[in-house]
Amino acid sequence: MKNSIQNIYKWIDDRLQIKVLVEYMGKKYVPVHRHSIWYYFGGVSLFFFIIQVITGILLLFYYKGSSDLAFESVKFIMSKVQFGWLIRSIHGWAANLFILSIFIHMFSVYFEKAYRYPRELTWLSGVLMFFMALGFGFSGYLLPWNELSFFATRVGSDIFGVVPIIGEPLREFIRGGSDVTGATLSRLFGFHVALFPGIFTVLLGIHLILIQRQGISEPLHYNKEEKKERKKMPFFPNFMLRDLLLWLIVLNLLAILAVYFPAELGHKADPFSSAPAGIKPEWYFLFMFQSLKYLPAHILFVDGEVVGILLFGIAGLLWLLVPFWDRKSSRGEHNKLINYLGIFAVMFIIILTILGWTS
Amino acid sequence: MKKYIITLILIFLTGYLTNLSAQTKDECFNCHSAIGGEQASQFSNDVHFKAGLSCSDCHGGNSKSDDMEAAMNKTAGFKGVPKGNDISETCAKCHASADKMKSFGANIPTDQFELLKTSVHGKLSTNGKDRIIQCINCHGAHGIVKVTDRRSPVYPLNVPKTCAKCHSNAVFMRNYNPKLPIDQYEKYRTSVHGILNAKGDPKPAQCASCHGSHGILETTNLNSSVYAVNIPETCSNCHSNKEYMKKYNIPTNQYENYSQSVHGIALLQKKDTGAPACNSCHGNHAATPPGISSISKVCGTCHALNAELFASSPHKDAFDKANYPECETCHSNHLIITATDKLLGVSKDAVCSKCHTPEKNSEGYKVAKNMKSLIDSLESSEKYAKELIDEAEQKGMEVEDEKFKLRDANQAILEAKTAVHAFNEKKFDDVVVGKGLKVTEAVKNDAKAAIDDYYFRRKGLGVALLVTILLAIGLYLFIKRLEKRQNNS
Repeated sequence: MKNSIQNIYKWIDDRLQIKVLVEYMGKKYVPVHRHSIWYYFGGVSLFFFIIQVITGILLLFYYKGSSDLAFESVKFIMSKVQFGWLIRSIHGWAANLFILSIFIHMFSVYFEKAYRYPRELTWLSGVLMFFMALGFGFSGYLLPWNELSFFATRVGSDIFGVVPIIGEPLREFIRGGSDVTGATLSRLFGFHVALFPGIFTVLLGIHLILIQRQGISEPLHYNKEEKKERKKMPFFPNFMLRDLLLWLIVLNLLAILAVYFPAELGHKADPFSSAPAGIKPEWYFLFMFQSLKYLPAHILFVDGEVVGILLFGIAGLLWLLVPFWDRKSSRGEHNKLINYLGIFAVMFIIILTILGWTS
Repeated sequence: MKKYIITLILIFLTGYLTNLSAQTKDECFNCHSAIGGEQASQFSNDVHFKAGLSCSDCHGGNSKSDDMEAAMNKTAGFKGVPKGNDISETCAKCHASADKMKSFGANIPTDQFELLKTSVHGKLSTNGKDRIIQCINCHGAHGIVKVTDRRSPVYPLNVPKTCAKCHSNAVFMRNYNPKLPIDQYEKYRTSVHGILNAKGDPKPAQCASCHGSHGILETTNLNSSVYAVNIPETCSNCHSNKEYMKKYNIPTNQYENYSQSVHGIALLQKKDTGAPACNSCHGNHAATPPGISSISKVCGTCHALNAELFASSPHKDAFDKANYPECETCHSNHLIITATDKLLGVSKDAVCSKCHTPEKNSEGYKVAKNMKSLIDSLESSEKYAKELIDEAEQKGMEVEDEKFKLRDANQAILEAKTAVHAFNEKKFDDVVVGKGLKVTEAVKNDAKAAIDDYYFRRKGLGVALLVTILLAIGLYLFIKRLEKRQNNS
């Protein structure tokens, strides 16, 4: 048995020189320190993305992206397709956990200042992927074409319309018309299964190549320790096997959630009915939605909502460009301001999300 | 000759004295009487003339002057023959004033004109200026007598004819409402009310009894006394009045029974105007109790399938021979309650057992027993299927299709309740077993499969968790061993 496996490996290695790759990976090390746990969230995010791709493709076998058939096809998947309910529930839960995991990964990178020179491009590609993940969530939410998704998309796309100058055309572009209709569904379906995955895969490829090329970032305090005292582990197989162990645990969690809390079907969307009371966006948009609600109608002769959207836009841009304005960290110096801003951002998101959830 | 002369003298004296007695202070009347005016002749019998009213009260002018120029001078307010709305407004000068009416010693309502204005007859006529009807169209002009006077056109015996003047005139009626029938008078004369009315009985209903008089509204008006929801109460004004109905020797509990019936509850409480009122079964203008053999036809105007099945059933001939009033025999008439399954079968409450016992008409007894047993099976099967669906739904399973399918079982129950009127076991079986039970069995199987699937999912999860946990433990141990080996080396 062992010999046959070795023979197969040898057969492949003769042709692809895998040994070189394994040796390369074996020379790569991951720093071990008190914050090492956060390194795993990148891998977990990747795992969720792989699950999304697989379950998404399976759902595509039966899903029909038109307003007449979308709801019925999802109903068919849930009730008639073997394990259709499981695939959809996993897709739904993995989407949420994917975004949660990206949030954690992104903030851990931020607090560790791992974005600093020379990893600015890794950070840029990562933040762009985070924005794309939100886009995945927004576009996928409408696809079941149920009452909740329909009205949440109407509210969500309305917010785009508030952006000065480009707001109106942007909303029209997203909706494929003046209101949420079958055209919106076709459009968002296209974004969700073709455009976004394409762009995301390219960004992910760049992100992973950069990580392999530049190695895992070492925290500032780690670099200050004596070289002898610096602990590390080989990327392959140690770190990868630990990653795999975490993936198994996450897979278990996903299975429990999908079985005990399967995705709901709801009622078919009726554009002519009134919106259900207390309509809210998905949790990852809730902090922005809730913030806009707290803003006064006018701030210095400007519409309160416009000010809110602009502030979020500026904050998003600053967030994206943080490696370029935090020069201190790149020089290897501690930057407390970055920590305070990060803590403020985390607290703001958590509190506003809770307030939005309970309101 | 002498006798002839005396007779001539007597005739002359009688004529002179009669003429003398007709002489009044109303110079209009005197003059028009002298020239043999028909209106003056009619007016001498008019209730207004007797109350001391003068021609000038309606026509204007100076009634005290015997000079025609002075009496009929426009400066004296003479207006001649009132036309259009001016007619009713002239009448209303007194009839809408309680004080004036009191001064004549008349104790009659004074709201007629107001009612007329809001009534269907008060709408604009084809000339676009005046109301369709003026007072004189019904009451006459110069020979108006009291409503209680048999000569009055609005005396109960004369009302149908008065209304028919317009309402039976197709040419006139098509100007205002071409879709309104014009055979009400003819129908009325065939009704119990109309026949008694023609015999000189003023008590039975005539047009005004149901429609009202001055304030008649369209039948579609919610306030009309003949609007669908108001009809039972309108009929009950007479038919529930024991004193009033005494001489006709018919029951007076119809309204009481009807209001408790399935029809009465639908119409009076739920305001479902599709539900039958008195006129739906008895007719309106041709109101009469339906004949025994036509009851199923009358009920069949709404319950078409039931009536059709009954007509082809063995009960049709049997009931006709025994003089049983078709539908009414099992369902009663005014007090028709919701038909439940209790009516079917051979229990004490079942209507079948009135005629069918193990000894008498035993074949029917067996059929009734079997039919009851079948419908009971279907209903309990439907109930159980529903319970299974609820259970599956509570477990979070998708059973929308099963819920939809179960509606067919409910439909089969309704169909069975109709099919029962064929009193044919085979036809009944086709519906209950062929449609209903077939559906409930399929739904039960699907719901059970959904519940089984629920448990399968949990068992499947258990197995999957076990496998992944074992894998995770194995991997963990492998990592530990690997790292130990690396540390040693």
